[in-house]
Amino acid sequence: MALLDVEDLRTYFGTRRGDVHAVDGVSFSVEKGRTLGIVGESGCGKSVTALSIMGLLPMPPARRVSGTIRFDGRELSTLSERELEDVRGRQIAMIFQDPMTSLNPTLTIGTQLTETMLRHLDVSKDAARKRAAELLEEVHIPNARQRLDDYPHRYSGGMRQRVMIAIALSCNPRLLIADEPTTALDVTVQAGILDLLDELREQHDMAMIIITHDMGVVAEAADDIAVMYAGQIVEQAPAEELFYRPEHPYTEALLGALPQLEGENVREGRLTAIPGRPPDLVDPPEACRFAPRCPYAGLGDYCTVEPPELRELRPGHWARTAHPVSERDEAIVETAR
Amino acid sequence: MATNPQEEEVREAAITRESEAAERMRYEAGAAVRQTSLWRDAVRRFSANKAALAAMVAFVLLALYCLIVPFVDPYDPNAVDFSQAYLTPSVHHFFGTDQFGRDLFVRTALGGRISIGIGFAGTFAIMLIGILYGSISGFVGGWLDNGMMRLLDALYGLPYLPFAIITLAIFGTVNFWTMVIALTIASWFTTARVIRGQIISLKENDYVRAARAIGARWNRILFRHLLPNTLGLVIVFVFLELPGVVLGEAFLSFLGLGINPPQASWGSLAQDGYSQYLSHPYIIVIPSVAIAWLILSAFFVADGLRDALDPRTAEV
Repeated sequence: MALLDVEDLRTYFGTRRGDVHAVDGVSFSVEKGRTLGIVGESGCGKSVTALSIMGLLPMPPARRVSGTIRFDGRELSTLSERELEDVRGRQIAMIFQDPMTSLNPTLTIGTQLTETMLRHLDVSKDAARKRAAELLEEVHIPNARQRLDDYPHRYSGGMRQRVMIAIALSCNPRLLIADEPTTALDVTVQAGILDLLDELREQHDMAMIIITHDMGVVAEAADDIAVMYAGQIVEQAPAEELFYRPEHPYTEALLGALPQLEGENVREGRLTAIPGRPPDLVDPPEACRFAPRCPYAGLGDYCTVEPPELRELRPGHWARTAHPVSERDEAIVETAR
Repeated sequence: MATNPQEEEVREAAITRESEAAERMRYEAGAAVRQTSLWRDAVRRFSANKAALAAMVAFVLLALYCLIVPFVDPYDPNAVDFSQAYLTPSVHHFFGTDQFGRDLFVRTALGGRISIGIGFAGTFAIMLIGILYGSISGFVGGWLDNGMMRLLDALYGLPYLPFAIITLAIFGTVNFWTMVIALTIASWFTTARVIRGQIISLKENDYVRAARAIGARWNRILFRHLLPNTLGLVIVFVFLELPGVVLGEAFLSFLGLGINPPQASWGSLAQDGYSQYLSHPYIIVIPSVAIAWLILSAFFVADGLRDALDPRTAEV
């Protein structure tokens, strides 16, 4: 059984104009010891998915319409706030996008590092402090013991994200959710943080979910990748498979928008942009949500009329489209061009 | 390339020495950096602020004067001796004497004890009530926040001094503690409001979400993560409210509603001098200067403390 099983998760936000279908029927599972990457553009529901799992969304305006979140055989969506508090940080930890604001400026790094342990584990202050120093060493911060007494303003952005990671790991959680862990960081620091995450995931025997809009990040860090679009998962496959044999036109277009420096078929010339913009999630298209931007839609089939289902095209490779690359008719491709 | 193995060795040793030295230097630099904690930083920055430092010295001098003089001054502050009445300031009586021949040097010190004491006790009560009310209102939010703020709006309509006078009348007696209550009861509203606003903006911070993500309960988030971040504001308000309470006390005493004679506060001392301000101006001037001295130094100290204590303004 998978460590985390999310099924048919729907999270809506009530607004004056109506419900925003931020997450609309998302299902996935994360196995022990594996890393799932969730990619998608801004507003596609990546972060809301993560926050729904943690139960960290303000309700209202957020509302969980349906869905089950089974973590280690335990249903999280029915737990009380009190019970959830015991899960957070202990079983599932989370790190956020902006390390510059995720640390409290008025508390020392040591205080913030020991906070989680003192909250969840039965340890003395001294033991927690000792462990905190070890954790700082584990995330490669030099002079760890002395730097415990520093305030966050003495740490650089990359170091703060390392501290956030150390905090997340302090109770040996089973699952780590990293919400855009490298977005706010310098490119040179990004790779270091990703390597560190991977190293620690192995050491601590955790599962991990990495949420990002950066294809490069998932390529480096994830074992499996789920591509989200307009609140739904449109394609899910092992990382290699997704990059080398994408099926969904959206994934295809995303990869086509990436600059390529090497490889067999190096593309030359301009990068291709995806025309149009993501649909309004208050009133999403009835049929395929990508249809308005899809070059293959409406060419003599059903996908503009009824929504395509998520289909398993190859073992482990799922896509939600009427026109997967592998089934595409040459004639249609020609017309689309 | 052929090299002499001896030369090689010498060079290697030199490199090792060099890197060791660099290591040591880096370590020492690190140690030097480490020694500046938040409080050390604060003290350093406060000392760099000349106006605040001068105000602090002035404040301490005033406090010392009030504390020490009654013990060392040879004159009984309450002894009536009409032969000594209306003596102008001299080496015998630094501040002169009043209509009953009482030494004003020691009476001003005793009055200061009461004025400053009421000031601090009142400010403490204001901060306590204001912070509790404001932080709960802001933190919980929703209908509770709405209700608490509307109640505050209604209370805001209460005029400060008349309300203090009515409160004193209800108590029937005027002593230190009834004065504190009367001066506090209608003056914590602004503090509560400002703290509420601060908490509301602070609770949207990422570190609050991060704290929730590690399973922190609401009380920890409020008391450990949010309230310390209002510290700068609280300190500013302490030193803003302090003069307000001292002034309020002085005003009530000046109206004759304050501390009962023969006890004195700066307000009642000024009141004593009011009737003879043309013939014996020093009697009203001295306590007034003391009040102004306290208020000005409190303002400048507040300013300096705010700059010094806020870790967000700390330079690295």
